[in-house]
Amino acid sequence: MSGWAAGFEAVLDPQALFLILAGVLVGILVGALPGLSATMAVAVLLPFTFALEPVDGMMLLLGIYGGALYAGSIPAILIRAPGTPSAAATVLDGHPMSQRGRAGEALSISVVASAVGGMVGVVFLALFAPRVAEFALRFGPAEYFMLSIFALTIIASLSESAMVKGLISGTLGLLIAMIGLDPIQAFPRFAFGSVELSAGIQFIPILIGLFGVAEALRQFERLRGGVEERPALGSFRLGFDRLKRLAPTTAGSSVLGFLVGVLPGTGGDIGSFVAYNETKRFARGEKNFGRGDPRGVAAAESANNASTAGALTPTLTLGIPGDSVSAILIGAITVHGLRPGPQLFTGSPELVYGIFIGFFLVYTCLLVVGLLGIRLWVQLMRVPTRFLWPTVLVLSVVGSYALRSNPFDVLVMLLAAVLGYFMMKGGYPLAPLVIGVILGPIAESGFRRAMIISGGSFEWLLTPIPLTLLILTLASIALAALRARSGSASSA
Amino acid sequence: MGWRLLRVSGLAVAVVTLLGVVACGPAGEDEFPSEQIEIIVPWAAGGGTDQTARQLAAVAEETCGTGIIVSNQTGSTGAVGFQAAATARPDGYTVGLATVEIAMINHLGVAPVTPEDVRGVMQYNFDPAAFSVGSDSPYESIEDVIAAAEDGEDIRVGTSGTGSIWHVAAAGLAREAGVEFTYVPFDGAAPAIAAVLGGQIEATSASGAEVAPQVEAGELRPLVVMGEERLDILPDTPTTQEVGIDWESGAWRGLVVPNDTPDDVVQTLNECFREAYESEQFQDFMETQGFGMVYRDAGEFESYMDEEFERFGELIRELDIRAE
Repeated sequence: MSGWAAGFEAVLDPQALFLILAGVLVGILVGALPGLSATMAVAVLLPFTFALEPVDGMMLLLGIYGGALYAGSIPAILIRAPGTPSAAATVLDGHPMSQRGRAGEALSISVVASAVGGMVGVVFLALFAPRVAEFALRFGPAEYFMLSIFALTIIASLSESAMVKGLISGTLGLLIAMIGLDPIQAFPRFAFGSVELSAGIQFIPILIGLFGVAEALRQFERLRGGVEERPALGSFRLGFDRLKRLAPTTAGSSVLGFLVGVLPGTGGDIGSFVAYNETKRFARGEKNFGRGDPRGVAAAESANNASTAGALTPTLTLGIPGDSVSAILIGAITVHGLRPGPQLFTGSPELVYGIFIGFFLVYTCLLVVGLLGIRLWVQLMRVPTRFLWPTVLVLSVVGSYALRSNPFDVLVMLLAAVLGYFMMKGGYPLAPLVIGVILGPIAESGFRRAMIISGGSFEWLLTPIPLTLLILTLASIALAALRARSGSASSA
Repeated sequence: MGWRLLRVSGLAVAVVTLLGVVACGPAGEDEFPSEQIEIIVPWAAGGGTDQTARQLAAVAEETCGTGIIVSNQTGSTGAVGFQAAATARPDGYTVGLATVEIAMINHLGVAPVTPEDVRGVMQYNFDPAAFSVGSDSPYESIEDVIAAAEDGEDIRVGTSGTGSIWHVAAAGLAREAGVEFTYVPFDGAAPAIAAVLGGQIEATSASGAEVAPQVEAGELRPLVVMGEERLDILPDTPTTQEVGIDWESGAWRGLVVPNDTPDDVVQTLNECFREAYESEQFQDFMETQGFGMVYRDAGEFESYMDEEFERFGELIRELDIRAE
């Protein structure tokens, strides 16, 4: 209990509290701007924390982390441009809600779900950290391979109405992810002798192009057609009824997001899709998903924020980062001569428990700032279309360039935009492509590592976790096929 | 022979420059540096190399008496940044940060750049590879591992990628000991360490600093350090020499300039960056972050890079991990 007392003492201090607020504000800013990421902001601000107390420095960085993961949903909902990779799943129902004049409601759900997801994640972190970390260690290459195969079945269930087009889109994503040095032997694939291509295609420029810029292109087209639609913003209020109805989704998705976040190498981007899919699978009236179902927004947003606490679990208990942000957080801890790992819990309880308490306060702060800020965010929608979309275009170019200061990324973004535009025209869903790009490398390297480790035998497939995931995968495909068939039968 | 000559003449230049500075103060004929210096870091902001560069630059602003900015030009295993440093104007105002990869990527078929394209200014870091197993492993020493491998046991070694320094370091160790390991490449050292802790593989090859947290927590057992001396952070782990294996390898970092940079400019840079290297602030930083401190002057670093280039060429050809 003394650990908690030390933690409270460290965090309930004006400077620490101020840094939480500052972090959340910076996080919201970088999260909402496509191309600027939490990883980047944390890396840039890291040296400033060297001069601070370890706990204070962590408050700033955790504030950025939580704020950015939430804020990625703002442009995802309003202009169909996810601000962070983790907000890609939020687009699915968030943007349709906004088009149907329910932007206010979608934004409110996103704030509440993000804050609740984050808090649930932090509670799990504080209660179960060491045990959950053990679970993460049991995930070896074979387990990662089967997990990503299971997650790939999301493509099938997201594309029930257009199965073939969904599969084409997903395969395209897998192909794009294959460009560059292969993850095992570093052999260049589809590089055609180009240094840029052999370095691989960056995910964020694709995301920016595919969603934000492709949407901008479509809006330009509409503008030329003389149609300027301006959907209403709708109410911001979330009645008690609505909150009650979203509670099971939010709770379940938070747990899923946390667990996916715990696994090193998988984070909010995958977690939000997994949670979205499971919500859809178990929900009544699943036909509404993809057309502006509030449950879709709640699932994606609670999962991606819960994944932040998940990522901290192996970071704090094992010294193994759960994602790219927590990898930098390790630097923020070691610079003070501390080492993440079990001994951190006994050696520096004020830091460990301070992180638990502080991260919970980050999400409390996020809830307040977010709810106050919504009315400000939606002003974006009042910007006349002919100014809004050119601005999106400029920010997208700047954002893709800022990533690595590499003009090649801008080219990738523009090509992705053209691809996204024609895919939308042809009725090809974009989410499967994103899922393919995210999961392809994890599946491939998992499979090949498992084969190296087993000396070329497939025996790993029969070990408990991979076998369970294999059965779930087959069940998931069968269910999607069944639903697709009954769907086409009823509509025929 | 040629290098020794260069080193001697370098020393002479250093002495003369030093005397000049002491005797005449700022009125000396060599006014370098009078403008801002840019350090090109070929790795991402926030990473280990970037952190060391920024710390060094902060101190060197005072010792070199001019502004120093750090720019990250990343991509292609460092090739983008190395190339930028090699082709910059040779006036000393663009300094490249060279890491061990500059001696490897040409052999790996990643990019044409080699140490021949740059001149050394100074080396400031060396992190030897550490070979570790899980604490519940039956192997108590590197000799146990080698004996098991000789008996035909499959020793699966996690590395931070095919052709990474930690892969090549482990492969060099195996070659020297006359055994073969199976290498499992991961995306960085952390997942490779996790795979050892999870019991999926037997061992990992990584820098001492990367395994230190798990060693301290009693989850990893480091068996050998591939450096000349034992590491402060792993004081109980023997070096390769102590266990009778003639193999040293690890990651290093240093500063370089384009080939045609004049000797006096190189020497001035070496002087003021050396002073920064020796400062308490930089030494403290390197120590708390677990980076190994090894210094080589311009000439020594130049010949060290060439030796490494030779050595890696041989080994990488033998391992057959070239990309093309």
